Amino acid sequence: MRCSTASVRFFLVLILGLILLPSARASAASIPHGTVDLIAENQWIAPGHQSDLGLHFQLEQGWHIYWVNPGDSGQPPRAEWHLPTGLTVGDIAWPAPQRLGTPTIVDFGYDDAVMLLVPMRASATLSANQPAQLRAELRVLVCREICISGKAQISLVLPVRSVPPTPDARTRDLFAAARNSLPRAAPADWKFSVSDAKEAFVLTANLGRKVPQATFFPLEESRIDNSAPQKFIPLATGFRLTLLKSDQLLTPIRRLKGVLELSTNQNYVIDAPVGNPSAARQKDGFRFLAK
Amino acid sequence: MKRSTVYWMIFVLAMLAAALPMSAVKFGQPAPDFTGTASNGKTYHLADYRGKIVVLEWHNNGCPYTRKHYTSGNMQKLQKQWTARGVIWFTVLSSAPGKQGYMNASDENGYIAKMGAAPTAALLDPTGAIGHSYTAKTTPQMIIIDPQGIVIYDGAIDNRPTEDVKDIPGATNYVNLALEQALAGKPVETAATRPYGCSVKYPGSWF
Repeated sequence: MRCSTASVRFFLVLILGLILLPSARASAASIPHGTVDLIAENQWIAPGHQSDLGLHFQLEQGWHIYWVNPGDSGQPPRAEWHLPTGLTVGDIAWPAPQRLGTPTIVDFGYDDAVMLLVPMRASATLSANQPAQLRAELRVLVCREICISGKAQISLVLPVRSVPPTPDARTRDLFAAARNSLPRAAPADWKFSVSDAKEAFVLTANLGRKVPQATFFPLEESRIDNSAPQKFIPLATGFRLTLLKSDQLLTPIRRLKGVLELSTNQNYVIDAPVGNPSAARQKDGFRFLAK
Repeated sequence: MKRSTVYWMIFVLAMLAAALPMSAVKFGQPAPDFTGTASNGKTYHLADYRGKIVVLEWHNNGCPYTRKHYTSGNMQKLQKQWTARGVIWFTVLSSAPGKQGYMNASDENGYIAKMGAAPTAALLDPTGAIGHSYTAKTTPQMIIIDPQGIVIYDGAIDNRPTEDVKDIPGATNYVNLALEQALAGKPVETAATRPYGCSVKYPGSWF
């Protein structure tokens, strides 16, 4: 079949146009049993402004990825960024996780879909002459019953303009939902304390009101036994939560950091002092014997 | 010694024993005994190895973290190096039949030969009995037992919790450190770490 010169030219122009079309939404890269997309909240980058990028993961049913503290097994996704001079990114903001796993092995992560927010800062001297090419090499462990490690190259080209940026209507809902799923700072009038009860940490929360439930997700590994049920006792002005200690915790800790989930999208970052830190449980026994 | 003092001491020890947690194996506590059938057809009884240092290595050859240490030759090197110094090394396969990492005896023998692995034996634990008694959570989780049968290390193989072979050079290998210290008669400095890797594929359903 012969193609006319005109139709060949038409297709070349079309393809070229698609390649050059500036877009806040790149095409998704594939990862094992899912995809990941690099998206931006704004239509362009403005020198001197900070804005958010999003790593949008979509997974096949039953598969999951991990929180910053993965729990008993697994590993959080990692991105290595390659950015033009004048652009820098900060640490990932992690939405509150879910408890995943079995009765004996509990992990913290996300199934179905999740967006990790990455703050990006543009220096005031960033040149507005050319679009910015954002690129990251992503490594991610995707698990169902088994785990598969994957790599993906993700990229996004954004224009740079010297006027305040306008939100991208196409990504607005995703960014709004992602921000809503982030743990917030606990209100200043909430009080938390942790007592060291040898085998367990007892977290007492004074919120000034009753709550029906609470789940604690440790931000640091080897603090609590991830798979142990968390005993919840409601109090008139809050609750008490008993968290069994990790087998790996052999030394006393001064603070217990984590995310407290009261209900869906009601998550708070807490960093509570541990009262009268005694030695970890084995050492308690030895000290008792030595007396 | 006065009889009442002896009674008092027995009472204190009994109270102390009652206060100890019953469940998981932990640093400083007796290693649960087991009898395991190995891929070589022999039966191994942990209690027979009092007087020796014993390493338990939880293994799943399909797990990316286990593969990291086998494709690089890192695990085989540790096995050879330490068994040559009198350490008993049991690779433990706690994957249930039909799950990733489950191996019958002849397949496991073929794998050991192909990979040049050199454990004392590879224990087949398809019911997960040995794994559960040690509350093994991941592959490769590493447990070290001293000549008196006490757990002196429980945790990760090293301080780089990734599946990337490139992370092996320069990593702090906790198993090497613990074995060096134990063989020198010193206490193990880093005695418990988070055992990174894949979850052990025990029998039972997943979510």
